[in-house]
Amino acid sequence: MAKKKSAKAAKLRNNIIVHTVLAILAAIWVFPVLWVVMTSFRAEKGSYVSTFFPQSFTFDNYIRLFTDTTVLNFPQMFMNTLIIAICSCILSSFYVLSASYCLSRIRFRMRKPFMNMAMVLGLFPGFMSMIAVYFILKAVGLSEGSMIRLALILCYSGSAALSFQIAKGFFDTTPYAIDEAALIDGCTRGQIFTKITLPLSKPIVIYTVLTAFIGPWVDFIFAKVICRANSDQYTVAIGLWKMLEKEYIDSWYTCFAAGAVLISIPIALLFLKLQKYYVDGMAGAVKG
Amino acid sequence: MGKRLVKFAALLCAGVMMLTGFTGCSVISGSSEGQEKVRLMVWSPSEDQSKDSGQWLQTCCEKFAELHPEWDITFVYGVADEAGAGVAVAQDPDASADVFMFPNDGVPTMRDANALAKFGGKYAEELKATNSEELLDSLTVDGEIYGVPFTTNTWYMFYDKSVFSEEDVKNLDTMLEKGVVSFPLTNSWYLPAFYFGNGCTLFGDGTQEELGADFAGEKGTEVTEYLLDLVENPNFKIDADGSGLAGMRDGSINAMFTGSWEANAIKEILGDNMGVTALPTYTLNGEEKQMYAYAGSKAIGVNTHTKYMVQAIELAMYLGSAEAQQLHYELRNVIPCNTELLEDPEIAADPLVQAQNNTFNFTSILQPFVSKMNNCWTPVENMGKAIRNGDVTKENAAEQTQAMEDAMNSDGI
Repeated sequence: MAKKKSAKAAKLRNNIIVHTVLAILAAIWVFPVLWVVMTSFRAEKGSYVSTFFPQSFTFDNYIRLFTDTTVLNFPQMFMNTLIIAICSCILSSFYVLSASYCLSRIRFRMRKPFMNMAMVLGLFPGFMSMIAVYFILKAVGLSEGSMIRLALILCYSGSAALSFQIAKGFFDTTPYAIDEAALIDGCTRGQIFTKITLPLSKPIVIYTVLTAFIGPWVDFIFAKVICRANSDQYTVAIGLWKMLEKEYIDSWYTCFAAGAVLISIPIALLFLKLQKYYVDGMAGAVKG
Repeated sequence: MGKRLVKFAALLCAGVMMLTGFTGCSVISGSSEGQEKVRLMVWSPSEDQSKDSGQWLQTCCEKFAELHPEWDITFVYGVADEAGAGVAVAQDPDASADVFMFPNDGVPTMRDANALAKFGGKYAEELKATNSEELLDSLTVDGEIYGVPFTTNTWYMFYDKSVFSEEDVKNLDTMLEKGVVSFPLTNSWYLPAFYFGNGCTLFGDGTQEELGADFAGEKGTEVTEYLLDLVENPNFKIDADGSGLAGMRDGSINAMFTGSWEANAIKEILGDNMGVTALPTYTLNGEEKQMYAYAGSKAIGVNTHTKYMVQAIELAMYLGSAEAQQLHYELRNVIPCNTELLEDPEIAADPLVQAQNNTFNFTSILQPFVSKMNNCWTPVENMGKAIRNGDVTKENAAEQTQAMEDAMNSDGI
């Protein structure tokens, strides 16, 4: 009896220790996020504060972000980014999934060389080609006016097919027996892809869509190089960066935090909407 | 092509505008009948184009078009603040604005990229007639002027008049006895002010690249020792990440060093108590030493790749003219630099204008823009941080100051 009690006490003690450590780690992790959210509601102006908690709260930073558009047009930047991100998300998801499916299911002569080449190219950071990309876009007339949006969409989705590794790995785990069964029933390759492989691979489809959306949504470097002086084409990343320039930082700092909170909303929404599909898409696929 | 255009620009500016029939040049000669069609792309900071601050750029460009009925001008506006334009134009002059605004320290890079047209002949004369010599020096390389200055760019002191008297603000140490002063000690645009005060020099007169930085020795060490005492002073606060302005706001700081970009915020905080003045002196071993800020200018430049060189140069001259500067001052508080305009009693009475111009004329040195200047920023910043962190002590001050100078004179990172 006494032994049982002491075991219980030990378990309780361990739990307390573990949970305290976890709570501390969680607090450290959440701290910057919380700070940004609080700053976005801060009523005091300026970039530097001596207190952790704002003295007073206001919603004005958010209102200003959408009403004071003459110097930094946040709504327009938000829309630009949204359009670019949605288009590149659709395009690059399509590229990635198609390429992965082909490489996973179809055997053709250039398969291995292509995979090796993609691996090698993938080792170079994307912005190494930035200057070249800029001059190519300029040569084909995509570096001015509203063509910039198209240029950015092309930039973000163009090399997507090279990053097939994860999706291909997932498709490889789908038993080939399913494909064969479908072939016997008269499916074409295309039908197998759309009607069988994709529904069975929801988690990886969701993962692909999420990363394809977040990439352009948060990218700064390509947008900065390509937009140059076309302020009507700015994306939120450039806008937020501008708010921290020395001329703006004092009056725009709290709006910057508000903007940072706002740009996390589409990502959070997308994630919440899609996460239910993360449950195992393979359940009950193969019977017997 | 670039070289030929530069040459061509210079020729044009020299007043050889009547000559037509240049082959290979891209300027469309004016047709004898009707207007010449001109398309000018103009870049400016977004405030110059915003409705809230009166659309300075659009207003000026429209006035310019009215003044020149012989040209049918289409303006294309782009947004690039001065620093951004300086970089963007140098990167790809071909796809940049015809007329843009840039800070004077961008001259070397843009000149290297063959992007900056020279102002010669009658334009140079006009510029010399309406601007101080020091100001034009900030835009002159090898005797050629590379832009139309429209404002000076430097920093000075803002203080609370209810704490300091006009007599107090002449000396930093007197001020520290009466109130709290904040200075951006860890920012290398500000810190050298103390060193220059005690006879340290950068590149001789600012253009002699071979002389390098002369920041060490006894004079440099004395300043480092002074700064060590300064940081110890409870009335001295280091201004970093906006802490100076925040201190002004909550009243814990009574004086700070910054420039016109924060004038509105300080005015809002202090109201009528806002005092602004050129840099004070500081007392080093019983002697009064003057602090010297880095000064530069902001100017309107013309791209050598423009198709309409004459029109672009004329527009740049107009945007930098007294009329445009006055409007700029009224709409956006951009401190004018045109000498005629500065004599205007209303403008001359503005304390901000006085402070900025006094700083430019008396308590500043022209920020050198030789290319070795790029090596000078980080070592000075590190010195400021080391002083703040206590890594520099009285014992190793001489050694550390020497190390800073060595780093400033070395090309390595």
